[in-house]
Amino acid sequence: MEIYLDNNATTKVDPSVIDVIISYLRENYGNASSIHKSGVRSSIAVEKARKIIADKIGCLCSEIYFTSGGTESNNFAIKGVANTLGLKSGKNHIITSSIEHPSILEVCRYLQTVGYKVTYIPVDKNGFVNIEEIAKNINENTFIVSIMHANNEIGTIEPLEEIGKICRKRKVLFHTDACQSFTKTLLDVNKHNIDLATLNSHKVHGPKGIGALYIRKGVRVTPLLNGGGQESDMRPGTYNTPLIAGFGKAVEIASENDSKKIASLRDYFIDKIICKNNGIVLNGPTGDERLCNNINILVKNLSGKKLFRELNKRNIFISTGSACSSTVLTPSHVLLSIGCSEEESHSSVRISLSKWTTKEELEITVNAIEEISKSS
Amino acid sequence: MNKMEINETLDLKGVPCPQNSARTLIKLAGMDKGEILQVILDDGEPIENVPPSIEDEDEYKIVSTEQNSDGSWRLVIRVERS
Repeated sequence: MEIYLDNNATTKVDPSVIDVIISYLRENYGNASSIHKSGVRSSIAVEKARKIIADKIGCLCSEIYFTSGGTESNNFAIKGVANTLGLKSGKNHIITSSIEHPSILEVCRYLQTVGYKVTYIPVDKNGFVNIEEIAKNINENTFIVSIMHANNEIGTIEPLEEIGKICRKRKVLFHTDACQSFTKTLLDVNKHNIDLATLNSHKVHGPKGIGALYIRKGVRVTPLLNGGGQESDMRPGTYNTPLIAGFGKAVEIASENDSKKIASLRDYFIDKIICKNNGIVLNGPTGDERLCNNINILVKNLSGKKLFRELNKRNIFISTGSACSSTVLTPSHVLLSIGCSEEESHSSVRISLSKWTTKEELEITVNAIEEISKSS
Repeated sequence: MNKMEINETLDLKGVPCPQNSARTLIKLAGMDKGEILQVILDDGEPIENVPPSIEDEDEYKIVSTEQNSDGSWRLVIRVERS
């Protein structure tokens, strides 16, 4: 028996999503840009998926652009807006947070090397960005604020509505990376005053290699690629119909009830593990302020790597720090940002649940952590 | 024809082929028997390609096709399904 508790890294594809993907590989394989019947069938699949995704965040179908995933969407949003305005316009300032995913932080670092200025807003001990600092740092050169919806390591759900209001008032674009939160917690581009939003599929039981960028009508973004005109010339390339259709199906079946059930299991695990172990501390916030499927714990006097390896031997799969940095022995930038020491960061692990996680699996995991913790 | 009750309108100006056909068929699939959809299409390829895609499906009937003063086209389609 394997227990997969690394669902913030990626999720198992839902069988109904696999069926949809296979049908567009096996039978309906026409190019969604071809005007024959086979192409129209594929185009219908693409447009149905677009509608499902647009409805989920309250936008128009024409405001959704399919990409290869979260990293591309984040690059597209930030570089695309920067390139539209150009450094010569004087709009050379970006505001983001210190706990963003590398696909935002590295884009910002790259832009700094070509002349842009970036302000990294600090976060508090639970990972919430300092809203006053955002307002204070917006100046006449600021063209975009990019703050993630939910953090991938500690699950903090940022107050998008308040940040969005400030951006709207100060006439600055607001982008959010919603890869972790999409379908798990409400994302409403109008209520939250969002101009650009990064969405992806593989965190919600959809396939890898497909995502989307929401771009509010009227916001000018220069495409990263040039080609055959697909996606209104904004993201050319042959439509990946199987994955787009699979993405749509995954979003269609994602339910609020699943999120509630997962949140309740998350809280069960947190209560149980903290109750059983004096040396365990939760990193990040609790309740509705935390992503429903995310747990991040600091196991004092035990290395996260050791805990990871011991659980791995028992076929329990978790993560040390974020998935993207798990091959590098550097402390998590997110944990350092919330005030953890390097040692505490190395002693922390992320456990992330899915709609298929059971109470029994969590009990086995709690007991295993307790046993490993006691024997070391 | 002008007195016909239009239940839904889809403005597909600027939408390329075959996306315009796809969006028309998706819209029609969600409509009831006897309901009328009005689609606004660009001149050229769209007005040449969309009507055949609709006619491929037995359950929809194109009731009228008229050109607007700005050169775009107004396609009126009725849902015939049983």
